[in-house]
Amino acid sequence: MKVELQQIDKHFGSVHANDHITMTIPAGTIQGILGENGAGKSTLMKILSGFIQADSGVIKLDGKKVVIHTPDQAIHHGIGMLHQDPLDFPPMRVVDNLVVGSPGGLVPNKKEAIAALKKLQERFGFQIDPDAYVETLTVGERQQLEILRLLWLGARVLILDEPTTGISASQRLKLFDTLRKLAADGMTVIFVSHKLEEVEVLCHRIAVFQRGRMVGEAKPPYVTTKLVEMMFGKAITLDERAPCATCDPVLKVEHLEVEDTRLHICDINLEVCRGEVIGLAGMEGSGQRMFLRTLAGLTRPVGGKVIVHDKTLTGKTYASFRKAGVTYVPASRLEEGLISGLSLTEHFILAREQKGFIINRDAAVKETEENIDQFFIRGKPETHVEALSGGNQQRALLALQRQDVDVLLIEHPTRGLDIESSIWIWSKLKARCQLGATIVFISSDLEELLHYSDRILVFFGGKVSEPLDAGTTTVDQLGQLIGGLGMKS
Amino acid sequence: MQKRLWLIVSLLVIATMALTACTTPATPTATEAPVDETLTFGMLLVGPYNDHGYSEAHFVGGQYVEANVPNTKMVYVDKVNSADRPGTTPAQLAEELVAKGATVVIFNSDDMKDSAHEFAKAHPDIITIHASGDGAWKDGKDYQNIPNLSNVMGRMEYGKMMAGCAAALTTKTGQIGYLGPLINDETRRLASSAYLGAKYCWAKAGNDPAALKFKVTWIGFWFNIPGVTSDPTQVADDFYNSGFDVVISGIDTTEGLIEAGKMKAAGKEVWAIPYDYEKACQEGADVCLGVPYFNWGPAYAKYIKAIQAGTFTTGWEWLGPDWTNINNPDTSMVGFDKGAALSADASTALDSFIAELAGGLNLWTGPINLQDGTPLLADGVVASDLEVWYLPQLLEGMEGQSVSQ
Amino acid sequence: MPKTSSRWLGLLFQVGAVLLALLFTSIILLLVGAKPFQAYERIIYGAFSDMGHISDVLVVWVPLVLVSAGLLITYSTGLWNIGIEGQIALGAIFTVWAMRLLQDSSIPPVLIILVGFLAGMLGGALWAALAGALRVFGGVNEIFGGLGLNFVSTALTIWLIFGPWKRPGVGSMSGTVPFDTSLWLPMVGGSRLSLWSLGLGILGIVVVYFILQGTYFGLRLKAVGKNPRAAFLMGIPTSSYMMLAFILCGVFAGLAGAVQVTGVYHRLIPSISSGYGFLGMLVAMLVNYQAIGAPFVAFLFAALNIGSIQLPIDLKLDSTLSGVLQGALVLFVLLMDGVRRRVLHKK
Repeated sequence: MKVELQQIDKHFGSVHANDHITMTIPAGTIQGILGENGAGKSTLMKILSGFIQADSGVIKLDGKKVVIHTPDQAIHHGIGMLHQDPLDFPPMRVVDNLVVGSPGGLVPNKKEAIAALKKLQERFGFQIDPDAYVETLTVGERQQLEILRLLWLGARVLILDEPTTGISASQRLKLFDTLRKLAADGMTVIFVSHKLEEVEVLCHRIAVFQRGRMVGEAKPPYVTTKLVEMMFGKAITLDERAPCATCDPVLKVEHLEVEDTRLHICDINLEVCRGEVIGLAGMEGSGQRMFLRTLAGLTRPVGGKVIVHDKTLTGKTYASFRKAGVTYVPASRLEEGLISGLSLTEHFILAREQKGFIINRDAAVKETEENIDQFFIRGKPETHVEALSGGNQQRALLALQRQDVDVLLIEHPTRGLDIESSIWIWSKLKARCQLGATIVFISSDLEELLHYSDRILVFFGGKVSEPLDAGTTTVDQLGQLIGGLGMKS
Repeated sequence: MQKRLWLIVSLLVIATMALTACTTPATPTATEAPVDETLTFGMLLVGPYNDHGYSEAHFVGGQYVEANVPNTKMVYVDKVNSADRPGTTPAQLAEELVAKGATVVIFNSDDMKDSAHEFAKAHPDIITIHASGDGAWKDGKDYQNIPNLSNVMGRMEYGKMMAGCAAALTTKTGQIGYLGPLINDETRRLASSAYLGAKYCWAKAGNDPAALKFKVTWIGFWFNIPGVTSDPTQVADDFYNSGFDVVISGIDTTEGLIEAGKMKAAGKEVWAIPYDYEKACQEGADVCLGVPYFNWGPAYAKYIKAIQAGTFTTGWEWLGPDWTNINNPDTSMVGFDKGAALSADASTALDSFIAELAGGLNLWTGPINLQDGTPLLADGVVASDLEVWYLPQLLEGMEGQSVSQ
Repeated sequence: MPKTSSRWLGLLFQVGAVLLALLFTSIILLLVGAKPFQAYERIIYGAFSDMGHISDVLVVWVPLVLVSAGLLITYSTGLWNIGIEGQIALGAIFTVWAMRLLQDSSIPPVLIILVGFLAGMLGGALWAALAGALRVFGGVNEIFGGLGLNFVSTALTIWLIFGPWKRPGVGSMSGTVPFDTSLWLPMVGGSRLSLWSLGLGILGIVVVYFILQGTYFGLRLKAVGKNPRAAFLMGIPTSSYMMLAFILCGVFAGLAGAVQVTGVYHRLIPSISSGYGFLGMLVAMLVNYQAIGAPFVAFLFAALNIGSIQLPIDLKLDSTLSGVLQGALVLFVLLMDGVRRRVLHKK
């Protein structure tokens, strides 16, 4: 289906999120939408898929003007959107999830749904158990499920907003294959991403967004530097790696044994030096998160010891870990990291040491302003955190971590952020390392792992690799380890 | 926060608007203080004014006064109890009636005792009549010495004896249930009177007094308050389903009668005797043996007339039936209206029982023992008003709780 | 400034909500064959016509505002303390208990009343702690736990009135034997209003406003309420704070119970809470959990309660109409808030 957007305009308060955007996407095209965080990509897609309404502008499908007020109407017109965060209902079974949004009678026909699901799965090579509970699926599988659901509902335009966030490399390849097949069938695919390499590999054409405007379009062959320039208005290079480790063990793990309902990992041993950065690699759900949470005292290990600053903290509460200087920075910023409905100032009051009983608001605002400046947070002290963009939320989350904390455990520090933000975040983290902090982080981004870690632990199939020296490991080697090749048994 | 301030302001604005909108048309409210010589009397009813029970009997009494005493007007509040009108006290509601011009206030329930006394003390200019109370009884246990407080009560004991008699004359199983409200002096003496009447007629009909089963189940209040009292419907059902074929109601509402009607429709041979209100039988004529009722009109008419004439003196009165005709609406305080389900034979027997009572028969004559066997009255001794009024237990031969636990 | 215009729009919606609530209630009145304006006029008359009525409104306002204040704390912590009714009742029971123990002693009445108040606070707090413990340590949702405890408290009240604390020889729904007048809160000449309880009500809401707006403690409660997981990761002991919120709310509920005993009923009666717990929940919802609005809305609700007494007397209407109006107000304000959000944000 041919999609035409004409003069789409949208304000959020004083922010001009979409500035008279016009673009045409022919049927059978994979259209890339590239831009940094807050460039207006998601806003445009939400307008197209009915989640929000434009202030002005026209949407045409196959040349016919349509009005889309709700996601329901969007799917009725054949437009389906995959969100950054999957919108499914976790405590449900796959088949129920499929049926729940479907039109039709009061009594859904499950048999029919299962048959349709099977057919679609065969076509794309997916393997999702219709009777599995959605919460047991990986992010990648949930995404596959969501695509199937949209197809089943009759989508002919598929919008994917940062779909590769949080999925494994193999799932990403499968996703790209699927999208290519769909496009070949005449489906229109809109692929929103800030990851250059993905867009370059996949898309038939690319539109670049910057600060609410569409600043340029490109067709293959793509010139990377040109795209980067369009995105940021300037050229950017990665910082050189600057290891800062001289070994003074801060965090020790001895014969640690962790388990949950799916996994059991034995005998993890690790000694982390002062100032060192340890990356945890592995496919989603391979145990790295469980390990990280154990280091924070959030999950109790089955056996072994966790020692921080020579103090054995095994079995102690999260509070004791915090007291020992450990902090945990979760990946889901608005679910676990920040508190929606509270302002930045209030976050800083909460994160800082209590002085007396009564809050000194003026001092708190002042401190917040300093942090806003220092961490380039685009917001005001009274801004509620949920109103910040993803990158700003992540910067705020980082700013909240107290300076006296010297063991930072971070889940996906740059997930969903554009290159510029990522580089900036890591420069801040590295600066803390230089001051003596130790970082253990999880990432599914191989480049990030290799570039910023000193050593890397790879998790696969209930096993953990020996620490790898990040400096002498290549992307391919790491990729193979994550995929289970070469893992010592 | 600011937003909410607006909300409040807007609410106040609306309230003001409504106020001005309403005051301008100047609706002539009939509630302003009377300028003529009309005497306004207030009545506080513990239940709904149309409960077909105690409160309606009072309400009808008030209407009787309005109809029979010139220049009188009634104002009333019903459902005066803390469950129906949370946050209020009867004294507070009485003051509302005073604000409507009432110079006499009638508190109709024993449960309003504290408030009635408090109100009477706080308003020495208002004549306060507390029906069923004893605060103005010089010989009573709870004499308050409040000059403007008066008590009145009907000798319902006679009505209950007739009810008991009718039940005993009708029962086939020899088992009579008594649906009791809460346990206090009044309810004990009424349940016991019903038993005395039942026993007398049962024996007179040639039965063995020991074979008569008479059981009292208390629900906890004068009427059903869901979640607080036992459900009288349930209690009545339990009676009928466990062999009791007549249920005498001691509560203000008619669940016993209604349930009997349902049972009868389902083929069971059962009867019921409601309470308080003359027309109570209407809700189940085919199972109703009759109803002992209060007729407050004449007593209140007497008081109001006396107040108008300036001859009223406060005190405690316990008024009985007019034995020349217990159902005379202008003279008898307590009556018994026979129901359609009462057989002709039983009716005749009941009439002769009433005639005996009128002739001086006093069932509160010894030997009478309390439920636990302690003697109340020695052989031949007649109970005093004090002994009957403050009956400490049910009587020997009755089943059921004597004191609340 | 878009912010100002949205504020005016918000006001418009709230006025709309109030009008809708009045319209809704009016329709109900018309359905039962009454004249709506006449009813509203009577309510306003009954609440404000003279000092006596205004003081009666304040008598209701005090426990209501105390309860609302307490509920603001639990609401801020994301807890639906439906057990509030029971907490008021337990406050009243403890107050009566303490005062019964001391009434025949030689302790000065002022002190006995004071002890009664402290006991009431303790009773409310204990009952709330029970609901809190069920929630925090037992994993029982506070709504179900609270409902259960409400039932238990009703049963306990009735049992005490008809059992151990019954009047000599008599159990009566009118409650226990009233305390001697020396143990009543002193009332302003001729009215039922005590300046002490009035002061307590004002103090209560001011304290809660201050706690929620200005203290670390209040901010942490809010953090726990808005996102317990994030709050926990930030180092706030969420369980303790939830318990504290319950207990503090219980203290306020207990105070309300103590006021009901010492200032209004002077004894224990079956429905000692007078439904102020549930009414307080409506107040807290209507002010969107902001302490600043609570005293005003509580006053409005108290006025409706007192004013509606006129309805059965003058118009033979059921006074539960005030409840309909209160419920409709909350419903429509919430509804219009939702509509406003859709219109303004569409997000």
